[in-house]
Amino acid sequence: MKRIIASAVILLCLFSSALYAANPIHIDIQARSFKKLKVAMPAFWGPADLAGQVWDVCARDLAITGVFSLIEPKGYIHPGPLRRIEAGTLKDWSLIGADYVIAGEISRQGTLAAFTVQVVEIATSKILLSTTYTTSADSAYLTVHTFMDAMMERALGLDGIFSSKIVAIQKVGEKKQLYSSWCDGTGGKAIKGGGDLMLNPAWSPDGRKIAFVSYWKNNPDLYILDLATYKVGMISSEKGINSTPSFDATGTKIVCTLSRDGNPEIYQLGLDGKNSLRLTDSWATDTSPSLAPDGKSMVFCSSRAGAPQIYILDMPSKKVERISFTGTYNTEPVFSPKGDLIAFTHLAEDRRYHVAIIRPDGSKMKVLAGTGRGDESPTFSPDGRLVAFGSSDGNIYITDIFDTMTVQITKGGGFSEPSWSGLIK
Amino acid sequence: MSKTYRALWPIIVLSLVLFMAGCAKKGVEQVEEVTPPPSQETAAPGMDMTMPGTEQVEVTEQAAMDAEIANFQDKDIYYDFDKFNLTPDARKILAEKASFLNVHPEIKVKVEGHCDERGTREYNLALGERRAKAAMDYLIFLGINPMRISTISYGEERPLDPGHNEEAWTKNRRAHFLVSGN
Repeated sequence: MKRIIASAVILLCLFSSALYAANPIHIDIQARSFKKLKVAMPAFWGPADLAGQVWDVCARDLAITGVFSLIEPKGYIHPGPLRRIEAGTLKDWSLIGADYVIAGEISRQGTLAAFTVQVVEIATSKILLSTTYTTSADSAYLTVHTFMDAMMERALGLDGIFSSKIVAIQKVGEKKQLYSSWCDGTGGKAIKGGGDLMLNPAWSPDGRKIAFVSYWKNNPDLYILDLATYKVGMISSEKGINSTPSFDATGTKIVCTLSRDGNPEIYQLGLDGKNSLRLTDSWATDTSPSLAPDGKSMVFCSSRAGAPQIYILDMPSKKVERISFTGTYNTEPVFSPKGDLIAFTHLAEDRRYHVAIIRPDGSKMKVLAGTGRGDESPTFSPDGRLVAFGSSDGNIYITDIFDTMTVQITKGGGFSEPSWSGLIK
Repeated sequence: MSKTYRALWPIIVLSLVLFMAGCAKKGVEQVEEVTPPPSQETAAPGMDMTMPGTEQVEVTEQAAMDAEIANFQDKDIYYDFDKFNLTPDARKILAEKASFLNVHPEIKVKVEGHCDERGTREYNLALGERRAKAAMDYLIFLGINPMRISTISYGEERPLDPGHNEEAWTKNRRAHFLVSGN
């Protein structure tokens, strides 16, 4: 991982006396009364190409946070480019309804790019953040990730998410490969070719390994890619299907689907495929397991009631309880890393597939709007607030559990089955 | 000794099919449509026009065999949406395949299970597996040695028809049969 070389040069006392450093305020974003915080962000100062690129990433990342909304720049009294916010102009920003104003300047220093950014909180007339981030010029988006995490933390006391990645399957021609990018779609690249069918990628919580399915040996088998060495190891190649790997919170074992004993059942395996433990026993199809972060329960999909529905397995007692009762097709459940929610794919009343969320006790099911064109394969952000999914147009999108936005993070189509990593240090 | 067995096989299969069909909803007339595999003579009509010679006969036999294998492989069986149980049509085709496999004990078969694009990839991979397995189990019930049959699921990954409509989906919910180890 590239990291930001020299970060956080805090610029203090550079501005007129009306602007002070602000203390973070804490707002309950889950409260019913929560409205997105409005952000004005005039064009950044600096070389047009680089400044434009960085501004674009900032705009997309603001939307992805799910808590900020960008005021259209064409409505600004001061459209910019603006490298700093003058105290005398605060009223003008207040006039257009801004809660925060972001001003930025990009400069190139050899192969490096420096992004100096200021955020002013209009309600308090205080500087929320004023920092210079430096990184190599060809990955200037990294400065945005660090800035945006800092802004979420300072403005709302939220954990940052932008140092996490998403892996997906990318179809190029007739071939499939593993494709990974930062969670906002920046820095995307193919990381492992298959030449064959590849399916069901799953990121280990520490972001160092990816488990997936490939047909390299003419059977759907489970493999693991070590991102430090780019070496691929075999997890399981039993007769029948070996599919839907999902790591436990410690990253030392997986749960998955094997049909070696006659029909698809759920098993727990070590990363070398050893110490296999069968977790389900039913005539029906059991698949798509996902463990709760405390490892005490597991959610999975089963057709034991005729149609596929969502079930919870209590690990100590092996007791199984059905939790989805709406609709006739509920599959691919995943536990939130916080353990408070489960996301799954639901055939909704509009006869289209949507991502839905539900509590582990089966209450408060909510169907997310998404693209409305057929969404599947949900995966949670490390803070459990956002959900990425694949849509029928072949692109990956991010929405939030409050259903307030849908942001596209890939271009060109061919993408499916996203899996979100934990925070990558 | 194997010849007498061979002669007996179609009768065993036919009586099994008769028994099965008796249990099924549809009538007995369907069973009569179960044709024995075409004999090699009928499959080689151009024979007397050619020079007699063992090589020629072998070539013609090979061609006839190729045609039978092509016929075997070309005939898929179809499933209802989100289902893996065998329809009467599927059972009939499988019975034909079983009689072919009985006549050619050297042949092994790989059953591919496929789904249409609707539903999720993860679930469809498991569903495709169950479709292939259902077809395999029926062939085993009809007397085929399990060692001769293998299965693979492709889920929704290999549609026969790339369309996004009911016509395409009907064709894509299938089991396909591949001959190997000839």
